[in-house]
This record gives sequence, C-alpha cells and structure tokens, in this order.
Amino acid sequence: MEILNAGLQTTLQGAPFTGHRHLGMPAAGAADCLSLALANFLVGKPQGAVAVEIALTKAAFGFRAPCSIGVVGPAEYIRINGQDRPRHETLTLAAGDTLDIGPGRPGCRTYLALSADLEADSLLGGQSTYLAAGLGGFHGRALRDGDIIPLSRPALPQNVAGSTPSGLRPHYSDDHVLRITPGPEAGKASDEILKNLCLRAYSVGARASRMGIALEGALLRRGQSSDMPSAAVFPGTIQLPPSGQPYLLGPDAQTTGGYPRIAQVIRADRHLIGQLGPGSRIQFVETTTERATDIYREKLALLSSWLGQIKLW
Amino acid sequence: MAELDPTIHICDDWIHIGLPDRKMVPAVQTTLTAGEQWTEIVPGLDSIAVQFDPALISPDDAAESLRDRLAGKPPKLKYSENIVVIPVCYEDNLAPDMKYVAEKLGIPPVSVPSWHTAQTHRVAMLGFMPGFAYLESSEEIADIGRLASPRQLVKAGSIGIIGRQSCIYSFDSPGGWPIIGRTPLRLFDPAKPRPALLSAGDTVRFESISRHAFDRLQQGQQQQ
Repeated sequence: MEILNAGLQTTLQGAPFTGHRHLGMPAAGAADCLSLALANFLVGKPQGAVAVEIALTKAAFGFRAPCSIGVVGPAEYIRINGQDRPRHETLTLAAGDTLDIGPGRPGCRTYLALSADLEADSLLGGQSTYLAAGLGGFHGRALRDGDIIPLSRPALPQNVAGSTPSGLRPHYSDDHVLRITPGPEAGKASDEILKNLCLRAYSVGARASRMGIALEGALLRRGQSSDMPSAAVFPGTIQLPPSGQPYLLGPDAQTTGGYPRIAQVIRADRHLIGQLGPGSRIQFVETTTERATDIYREKLALLSSWLGQIKLW
Repeated sequence: MAELDPTIHICDDWIHIGLPDRKMVPAVQTTLTAGEQWTEIVPGLDSIAVQFDPALISPDDAAESLRDRLAGKPPKLKYSENIVVIPVCYEDNLAPDMKYVAEKLGIPPVSVPSWHTAQTHRVAMLGFMPGFAYLESSEEIADIGRLASPRQLVKAGSIGIIGRQSCIYSFDSPGGWPIIGRTPLRLFDPAKPRPALLSAGDTVRFESISRHAFDRLQQGQQQQ
C-alpha cells in the first residue's frame, strides 16, 4: 500500500501496550478503540489488529494488490477511484485502485482496516505506534507521502461482516458528554472542584495531541499547593496544573505525573477522547464507580451482539 | 516498623494506594505482583496504582481484594539488591550545564564528576518516557532547580540533576533538567526480556569515563 497523501497525522494503531506502565511505557494504540473495533470487524480482524488511524485531515492510499477494507470514523467521504463509497461497509479494492478518505469533521479520527496484514514493528506484544519514543508501527513515526507499507496475506477474506448495523454506528459530533469519577487529589474540596468542572462545557484548545488535551473554559482553583509527589496517571485522567486549566490525558500520555489528578473519565466513555478535535466541546458529568462499571458492562453487552466478546480501553 | 495503613481511592478502573512511607513502595509493589487481576501496577514516589478490567471485577471487589492483600503484614523496608553501575562521560558537549550546576553547588566544574560518582542513588520510579529513571541521591544536596526554559532536544542517556533528585533520559526528548553528563548505555530496549535497564528500588552508582570510552561503548551498544 502506498501513501499518496499522508495528511496531518496518520499512524498505524491497534491494541494498546499493557502491563508495561511501571517501565514508563504508555498505552499508545487507537485513540478511539470502538471505531477501530468496528472497522476491523468489517474485514474479519480481531478488534485490536493494527489499522491506519487518520487524524483530522484527508488522506489517500494506492493499492498494488486486491484487498478488502472497512472505514469507520467521521471521514466526510470515502472514494475509490473518485467514486463515492459508504462508510461502515466492507469494500473491495482491486490492484491499482486509489482510496481517498475525506477530512474527519465533526470528530477527529477515522480508521482504515484492511483484510491484509500491515507490516508493522512489533514490541512488548504490540504493534501500535508510540510517537514520542519512535517505537512500533511504521518505523515508530507518522506516515509520510510516498511511504510504502508492505501488505501480507492479501487474499480477500471469506464470510466477512458486510455492514455495521445502524444502531451501532457511532454518532460523530463536536459535542461530547464525558462521565467522570473523582480522582485521588479531588480531595476534600472535591464537591467544589468537580462541581465547577461539570458546571459548564469546556472546549478543546490548540494544545491537543494523542498525549493530551488542554481544556479551555472556566479555570479551576484548589486551596492546597498544586505540587505533589509524582504518581501514576492513565489515559482519561484529568490533571490540574497550576494554571488552573484542566488537562485531559490521551492514549500516549506519560505513565506518571506531578499535577493533582482531579478526575478520571470512565472507561465506557474513554474511546470518545479519540474523537475530540479542535473546537470540540465537552460537558463533564460526575458519576460513581459503581454506576461507571454498570455503564461499561451495559455498553459491552450491547456491542457484543455484533462484535462478539470485546473490551474497550 | 511503620504501619502500612494505606489510603485507598478508587478511580473507575484503577485504584490509588497512598503509602505513609516512600520506602514501602518497592515492597508493596512486590506483594502485588503476585496477584493476577491487575493489568498494570505502577509505582509513584509515595504511592502505587493498580488497574483492573471492570468487566471482570467490580471496583469494590477489587478494592476489597487489595485490602486483603495488604492487610496484616507491614512490608519489609528492603530495597532491591540490584546494584547497577552506569558509566558517564562528564565532558564538553555531553555536559552542557556543567558550569551552571557547579555554580549552584559552589564547587569548580572539574570537581563535579568526582562529587557525583561518590554518591549512591536509588531508583525512585520510572516514568515520563519508557525506561526514564527518577533517582534519589543518598546525600542531601542543595536545590539546583530546572532550566529557565526547557530544551527542545535532550539526547538519550543524558544525566539531569535538580538537587537530590536526578534523572536519566531514556530517549531523545524535550527536557528541562540541567545536564551534567551522558551515559552510552541504552535505558530501554524493547527487544530485551527486561526492556528497562533500571527498575524502581535499584541502587545506582555512576562511574566516570572518557569521551573515547563513551564513543566505544556507544558503538558497542548500537551493534548489539
């Protein structure tokens, strides 16, 4: 597969790295694991198989061998040799075909899954790209125009899904509700600080990447000093730096941090972080850990009717 | 022996375990590794976090099993017996902030290497980047502080120091710690069975090497 137009940031992403955070190795992996799972299912792949993650802008690919694909995400259009084709369906490309994927608005990231296997660097049991350290994926970096990714097992798959049921197609939007539980440093003032965090919507500022997103909106103040001994953080943790501007951690976030951890986006909603783009608005809603677990299990039960046994991360 | 009596806070699918004494972190980490339901066990400076899959175990049950695991036996305050000697070249462009640090310490730059190699360090934790080590010196050291503006590029292997705390950069990255030298050793090699050179709790001693030795060792690392 040849990269004809790499766009702003296109990377190979699949399942996250797990079990290595104590070594400083972040999760990486698809920022929106649900869209990835839906795309992979269209080509008969396991949910965490490595696929192409395209952020924000349009991208184009040339194919030298026949291949089936599934495209899931907010892409404005999908075109094969200039002809519009649907999202959420298994599509077949012939050798010599060109695939154009439109910009991802509203939303952010679109996933291109292939029936063939993309050749990617393997480490620590995964193949996802971790950009900051230049590890995994395609030589540890974002794709560039002219890159050629070797495909193996290019045979067209048998008995693949066909089309995502309409009820399970994510609604891509610029308005998101993210449910949170209190973090360890929400502290005694938690009522106040979380109430303020949930009071009005925040928006995604210019400082947004796979590592994290600076949230623009009401500044939050804590009574105590904002310094603390470094402690573990996870994707979906909301930190409060001294500026008072909350910072939402993404899949590439480092494993520890020294800012107060005021809240945690619940696992059931975390895949939505991958669809936050410039200008997206977020309304935080506080929930309990018990409720968060129920929501997560209900979501998995709903998805399993189509995707089989899966998990979100 | 201090009571363990940890603070437990559940955050959706992970649990923060606050410890009353930093020295407990390595021992508690070892205790937890034996359990199988944790997908991540991440030490901080005075805490540990464990992550679990809430489809398999509810947060309350996870916290309960954590309390059971930690109950009763205050962990021995024992550090790992792993001593790692790290060769460092303290010369020229491998030590861009040598003058700055020497001034803060009130000693001549030429004395910094012997001052530094005389100390023993303990790995407090890994973080920031894969294999990036936060170290704590055995000595009380005056506050040196971070650089006024961070560097866009700090080379992998650089030794940063802000006082009693120092660090070793594991990858080329931005960074704000004053740099007094560089090791040719690779701090993180995902192809190895133990990808990180250092683990929390390890003892580290530095050994001064010449630029020639640095270049030779670095070449050796690349050929591996």
